[in-house]
Amino acid sequence: MSTLSHHTVERLDRPSAYYVGKNKRRKYSHDEPEKQEEPTDNLKNATTLYVGNLSFYTTEEQIHELFAKCGEIKRLVMGLDRFTKTPCGFCFVEYYTHQDALDCLKYIGGTKLDERIIRTDLDPGFEEGRQYGRGKSGGQVRDEYREEYDPGRGGYGRAYADDQRRREEEDYGKGR
Amino acid sequence: MADYERRPHGPRGGRKRRYRDDDDYDRRQRRRHEEPLFVKVRRQLLTIAESAARRAEDDAIHIAKTVAENYGDDEIRGVYLETAIDLVLEQPLKIPFIAATVLAANVLNPEPVSELLTRAGEALQGYINAGAWREVKLLLRFLGCLQGILEGDGIFPLLEEIFARAVDLQTASSEDLLGLELVKIILFTLPYVMASPATRFETHATALLEKTDIIASTPHALVDLVDPFCLTEGKPAATESVISLMQKQLQGESNRSWELACLPRPWKRIYETLEAQKEAQDEGAQDEEEAESASTTAPGAKHAFPQVVMPSPVGHGARAIFPEIYLSVYANQDIETVPPTSDIASSLLRDSLVDTINILDFNRIATAKYLIDVDCYFTPNTFVKRATPFDRLRELPTDRPQWKPEDVAVDAVFSQLFQLPCPEHKFIYYHSVLTECCKIAPAAIAPSLGRAIRFLYRSLESIDLDLSQRFLDWFSHHLSNFGFTWKWSEWIEDLGLPAVHPRMAFITGALDKEIRLSFAQRIRGTLPDPYQELVTEGKEKDTPDFKYMSDTTPYSNEGKEIMQLVRKKASDEEIQPFIDAIEEQAKSLGVEDPLIPSTDAFVTAICFVGSKSLSHFLSCIERNKERLLAIGPKSPRAQRQIITSVMDYWVDQPGIGINIIDKLLNYTILTPLSVVEWALVDKLAAGTVLAKPHVFEMISATVGKVTNRLRQIVAARTQPSLYEPQLSVLDETLKREKTDMQALFRVIEDSIVSVAGGSNDELMERGDGSGTLPEDEIIRRWGQRWLRVFRRKAGVEESFIVEALVGAAPVGTVALTPVPDDAAASEHAPLNGNMDIVEGDGGK
Repeated sequence: MSTLSHHTVERLDRPSAYYVGKNKRRKYSHDEPEKQEEPTDNLKNATTLYVGNLSFYTTEEQIHELFAKCGEIKRLVMGLDRFTKTPCGFCFVEYYTHQDALDCLKYIGGTKLDERIIRTDLDPGFEEGRQYGRGKSGGQVRDEYREEYDPGRGGYGRAYADDQRRREEEDYGKGR
Repeated sequence: MADYERRPHGPRGGRKRRYRDDDDYDRRQRRRHEEPLFVKVRRQLLTIAESAARRAEDDAIHIAKTVAENYGDDEIRGVYLETAIDLVLEQPLKIPFIAATVLAANVLNPEPVSELLTRAGEALQGYINAGAWREVKLLLRFLGCLQGILEGDGIFPLLEEIFARAVDLQTASSEDLLGLELVKIILFTLPYVMASPATRFETHATALLEKTDIIASTPHALVDLVDPFCLTEGKPAATESVISLMQKQLQGESNRSWELACLPRPWKRIYETLEAQKEAQDEGAQDEEEAESASTTAPGAKHAFPQVVMPSPVGHGARAIFPEIYLSVYANQDIETVPPTSDIASSLLRDSLVDTINILDFNRIATAKYLIDVDCYFTPNTFVKRATPFDRLRELPTDRPQWKPEDVAVDAVFSQLFQLPCPEHKFIYYHSVLTECCKIAPAAIAPSLGRAIRFLYRSLESIDLDLSQRFLDWFSHHLSNFGFTWKWSEWIEDLGLPAVHPRMAFITGALDKEIRLSFAQRIRGTLPDPYQELVTEGKEKDTPDFKYMSDTTPYSNEGKEIMQLVRKKASDEEIQPFIDAIEEQAKSLGVEDPLIPSTDAFVTAICFVGSKSLSHFLSCIERNKERLLAIGPKSPRAQRQIITSVMDYWVDQPGIGINIIDKLLNYTILTPLSVVEWALVDKLAAGTVLAKPHVFEMISATVGKVTNRLRQIVAARTQPSLYEPQLSVLDETLKREKTDMQALFRVIEDSIVSVAGGSNDELMERGDGSGTLPEDEIIRRWGQRWLRVFRRKAGVEESFIVEALVGAAPVGTVALTPVPDDAAASEHAPLNGNMDIVEGDGGK
């Protein structure tokens, strides 16, 4: 019933700084004066969430099991590696109502699924093509250069691992 | 000026970097500029009493002085008035401290106080008009704390008026619940008035209490409905509503000259400090710094109570009101770690905590922090030190309470999670609060949760079935956030119980849910040896076997062919010959309904081909939905065969099966009635099916779908400015669907009632036919518990519809000014009689 204009604590059901920042940057670079709308306007009635930091091994069923706790799921789109078409650690969850999506941000974002802390972000809606990773090697961009070993997300970042391998090969001579 | 660093763990602090990518920018700014005074006032107000290291009284005086001395500054004025009221409404634990800043300010400068009272009055009026009774309660609490600086009888005339409205409501109907809510407001305001600096109101309070007694102490008919325990044996305490409890506790306090030990009295120290400062100033009056502050003696000027009008009759907001029952998961311990219900602290602590939890659902991390900090907001030493281990309590002196702050906090969360008929927010919110509590203070919270779990586990036989399901759901979800670690070894003895025993049902149900959130192999690894056999090999199989692969399965050839065709995305015509072949064979074998074996083969094939993931399954359904949709109208038994085939295929992973059933309902391939009849008629198995948690889950979800839909229709039907012809269309839909819903509840009732009464034929025939086997009694109890849940659901929905329709426009209402056609059409676009309100497009 809270209808205050200012809350005394931060709300967790706002779009992330990443989303706001991404759209701000885009707005400035395009330099279109007539596009004055707030970057978050298209999230007013959003029913879709971007879900990140999943393990590559987390299944649709597991995601369903957790996310259905916030409301009936209308559609679930797994994020896939552009080349191998295998899960690459993100997905889109679409609910029937905006409120369910907000509740998901509040109650599920930052909790664990498959023993990993997952990230949720309000999303304007899934479009064909967005289910694929945008990284050079097919997965997500963040998995290209990651220097930490993450067994749930294919080990080291791919670009990073390639780089390491090249260096090793140079050190030891090709063909072992 | 002291440089306040960001509090490292505050809910607004820098800890949550992931929410604040612009953190660096923020910090640089802060370093460069001196914090403006109004920002500081806001921050000090927001964090008042949060730290055990600082005295809330000192902060209150500091805030009061800043505001009193700079009241000409519009920003300071605005920030103070707004933040104070916001805090009252959002952080109830802080109300006595916010009030303390007001009491302090009043000694120095009455101007901000009178303006704040006006604002509080306006807000109060707004919430009264809207029927937002929790907000009314909180604002009255705040005003009650200020009774000492109010003219005349202060808050009492309004309390009397609220009571008069409660009497009106109770007189009008014995079923009234709003009147009880109003009495609750009065009862929860009184202690704060009596703990305020105001004196000479004992007779007022006692007189009011005498009046509320008749309403508060009369048990309401619905109390039994929301009782968390459904069977008399094993019940920890007699069922008492929150208000009857509070009434008794207040009467006790009135006999103890309103000791109200747990309520903080920050004003005492504030008045002393201000007096001392005034004396010091008076002595040094010749000083040039003849400050005007502290010029008057406490409490300062008196103010009129703000003008507030109670409408007659009063209304109530959107949330349905039900009687509340005091539940504690720490009842009957050998050491009291939470206040007993004989102590008013039980109600006062619970009320503030519950409001905090329910108001702050938009930031579970903040909620958890305030829960952990509960000891900061009540009289010091109300609790033992945080994280004192349970066993250490024995060594502490027994002359004062040994209440553990984390037990009190956790108890409050469970009271909401286990609220009947349902809590204010989704269950998962309460899960998430407990998760955060555990993250903030694992050493303190985890053992408390452990004792709560043991209490609930021991209560499994007597607790309401809905609540045992919520417990199951929370337990598995909670463990999934903490590496699935639980001391399973302590329940090993129970593994010898029959499968239908509630404890065994809980154990198997919990493991199943854990696996659903994780995977079988992982969960197997968390279990001691005796549990290993519960995680069967079948649970580890990603793709269960296709039974038609075995040549001994009837129709195995056709089954295999159909499966290949489904896999190849063949057309319906290509599949038809094999369906026909099965049906002809079946006919020749004398099968009564040949559509049953053909449906089995077809659906099992779809399950097998779609076993890779739900998406795969759904695209199979999408391609074959015409055939599937045609089954139900041809033969209800074949329709139920669809469910049998799905649940048989996924027998080791019923969670997946339930999910599929849910989607088939959306496609209307199944009807809610078919699901209920399948479970409670076809598969009743002398009632043993009632012991399966996943069946309860399936039926609850199906019923939930029906009631949700009906509520949406009601919402459409009762929206303002709805006119003919839409009105009649919606009314028709409502009537039709309501009849369907009632029919559904009747089927549930009819099939369970025989199990509950022990008169089920099959039940009678079990074993030696005497119906007196130990398991027979267990099954009867399952029946009684099921019955209670679904009778309650039926009752709640029925009364929801009746109440919602009270103010709705009657059929035949025509728009006064004709609305242009197209405008009307677009306004009611989704309600044009097709009623596809969230029909569910099949979750494609």
